[in-house]
Amino acid sequence: MKKVDLSVEFCGIRFPNPFVLAAAPPTDDAEMIARGFDAGWGGAVVKTLGLEHVEVNLVSPMMAGLSYEDKGLIGLENIDLISDRDINEVLAEVSELKKSYPEQVLIVSMMAGSEKEWKEITRRVQAAGADMIECSFSCPHGMPEKGMGSAVGQDAGLTYERAKWVVEAAEIPVLIKLTPNVTDMRPIAQKVKEAGAAGVTAINTVKALLGFDLDTFSPIPSVNGKSTEGGFSGPAIKPIALRFVADVVKDVGIPVAGVGGVVTWKDAVEFLLAGAGIVEVCTAVMRYGFDIVEELNEGLALYLEDKGMNSPMELIGLGLPNIVSHESLSREYKAIASIDEDICVGCGQCIVACRDGGHQAIEFRGRQDDGGLSDADDARIADVDDEKCIGCGFCRTVCPVDGCITMTPRED
Amino acid sequence: MANASAAHTSLEETGRSYAPHEAVIEASRCLMCDDPPCNTGCPAGVDVRRFIRKIRFGNHRGAVRLIREANIMVGICGRVCPQEMLCMEHCTRTNLDTPIDIAGLQRFAGDIELASLAPLPDPAGGRRERVAIIGAGPAGLGAAVELRKRGIGVTIFEKSDVMGGVLTRGIPPFRLDQTFAVEELSYVQRLGAEVELEQTASEPAELLKGGFSAVFVGIGLGRPYTIGLDGEELPGVYVASDLLTGITKKVRPDLGSRVVVIGGGNVAMDAAMAALRLGAERVDLCCLESYEEMPAFRSEIEEVQSEGIAFHTRTRPVRIVADGDKVVGYEGVGIRWREAGSLAPSNAIDVPGTEFGLAADSIIEAIGTGVLDRFEGVETDGRGVVITDPETMATSLPGVFAGGDVVSGGATAVRAYAEGKKAAEGIVAFLDSRGTEGGGR
Repeated sequence: MKKVDLSVEFCGIRFPNPFVLAAAPPTDDAEMIARGFDAGWGGAVVKTLGLEHVEVNLVSPMMAGLSYEDKGLIGLENIDLISDRDINEVLAEVSELKKSYPEQVLIVSMMAGSEKEWKEITRRVQAAGADMIECSFSCPHGMPEKGMGSAVGQDAGLTYERAKWVVEAAEIPVLIKLTPNVTDMRPIAQKVKEAGAAGVTAINTVKALLGFDLDTFSPIPSVNGKSTEGGFSGPAIKPIALRFVADVVKDVGIPVAGVGGVVTWKDAVEFLLAGAGIVEVCTAVMRYGFDIVEELNEGLALYLEDKGMNSPMELIGLGLPNIVSHESLSREYKAIASIDEDICVGCGQCIVACRDGGHQAIEFRGRQDDGGLSDADDARIADVDDEKCIGCGFCRTVCPVDGCITMTPRED
Repeated sequence: MANASAAHTSLEETGRSYAPHEAVIEASRCLMCDDPPCNTGCPAGVDVRRFIRKIRFGNHRGAVRLIREANIMVGICGRVCPQEMLCMEHCTRTNLDTPIDIAGLQRFAGDIELASLAPLPDPAGGRRERVAIIGAGPAGLGAAVELRKRGIGVTIFEKSDVMGGVLTRGIPPFRLDQTFAVEELSYVQRLGAEVELEQTASEPAELLKGGFSAVFVGIGLGRPYTIGLDGEELPGVYVASDLLTGITKKVRPDLGSRVVVIGGGNVAMDAAMAALRLGAERVDLCCLESYEEMPAFRSEIEEVQSEGIAFHTRTRPVRIVADGDKVVGYEGVGIRWREAGSLAPSNAIDVPGTEFGLAADSIIEAIGTGVLDRFEGVETDGRGVVITDPETMATSLPGVFAGGDVVSGGATAVRAYAEGKKAAEGIVAFLDSRGTEGGGR
């Protein structure tokens, strides 16, 4: 068996593996990034830097989590800002870090205002020895008020102009991190491409209002009774991220660093299938620690081994040809729900879901005319009425037994 | 009065493993503690938190590999380890509600592995030495695996017709399926160890002269104690370990409808459960110890209780009642301890007026097992237990090492395995210290 090589080439840069720490608290400090590299991360995007004169005034608390039923932290909202550290200090650390970890890729995230500032910060980051630059045109809070962050990424013209400034000053590959808080990312990504940037990072956080405190009526996270719209991340935003990645890769044809909600190697494979060339991770690292990269690397390697592939690059974009317009989906293909009665536990969740959420096509085998259930042993087995089932697939999503309900092609 | 429940009629393994999504749900209960206390509980050094994390994040096969690196008995220990006394005892989640089912998750991992046998690690560059291992039980296998990983040749001599020792010839199939165990243990052969079944090894001193560079003794215990009552030779009186070994070989004796088991250890519990499954209608378990003093694992005692077996604790056997050649009853008497702190039969004093009799078609003695074989030049204590250096597991005979029940006098499979691993370290140090002149076979 051939040994899987997890290294990837992205925008002309070799990464030891496709897993990169996203620009966020875990990368605000060289000591942390070093621990991340020791744990096995292939690269890191240093938390977004601004020039000295940019005042970064943090609030607290700045984070709050979204739980759903028994699922803790399916999403995280933050009203954090760019790094509040001194740019000179951080860039000095970057130089040292690069010497200690020549194999790992160091990308520095940055944000500025005027052309002069963008060019200056580009030169300084480059001089510090960064392998790549990532420009944040996408932070949804705090910065847009100053004409930065997502205020740029929501405007194709501003995006083009600023990307061009950076590209002109840069000798290393430039990534532009875009915001999902737009109806369509493609025209903006197109401008990034035209400006000559090497690639796009997608997505930044989704602008959101996480919730309210029911007693104080303050939104959360509550800063002394008040709050503001923040950036939402974590597993809940993965489908949004996948959509934007696929959109941009398919229709713009520019390399994409995928980011948004990755926890497991399976999530990462999905990003590769959607066309991402590397995968950035933040929330899961904050939640579970740098060590989860062990599961990302090992899980991906075993998966590739199973598929007879030697490199993650073989996966990139493999899912794209299967994303088609709604119009071109087959109308000849008809699915029907099929319930494996050997493993059905008789809960009836599918029955309720189909009765009130669909087409009244599922019923307990033992249901009697008076509404009660018979005493038969198989009375609680759920049966599908072939005539009524339209094959919507909703029942499968509520079934608690893995593999019990499958959507199979209709035979008639 | 019948106490056999219909649910306990099968001698085959009954529990089922987690389905993959169930395993992920259980693993996601893990708090992923910093400096995890569960890890300190495993004698074999399995990184518990890490393997659970692997399952949680969908890296199931990575989990198996990690466990097996420390202990090849992945699914086996998932079934037979008293984890509630080891890793699970330390689980932080207990402070919230219930501990993570580490045993169940490890069992799940073991099943995954058999479904897709992963490639082998490359043993380190071959060395010329070859080590003889006497006994293919957990201790011998632990030593064999570690020696092979270092490129040292290994020949295992096993008296029985199958690897595993107590795992395959002692633990009844309803606890551990023998076919599964043998398949999982065959990993040692895939690592390149030679296993010679139905081979009685020569004396260690002979093996050393015959070209082996070192010898590991892991013969376990093999001489069951008997009580010494009149009538023990009758056909209705059984030694528990022989009965259980027979069951693993598909022998299914008719024990009759009333069975008395004597003993309070795990073998007694297994024998009592086996008796029910062999068709007994009522099983009585008599032991010297009180309920709290019984040496069996709590989980096994509770299991036996849940099957409706009657306990007669703090009693000693007095007489086997026979009608000609046929066992018809058992007589015992209540005891108290002369001095606190000793559970030895010699410390028991009869309590007058507590005599009792039970009807019995069969009587099973399960009062412990001693060392069967002794070896020339290998020092033992009074009970025949081999004396070793606790750091290296070296015996008094240079080049001869030992571990497992033959050293501990009887403990868990996982501890035996851990001692085999430790002995392998000792053997490597011994071989290295001799340099290359010792030569291989």
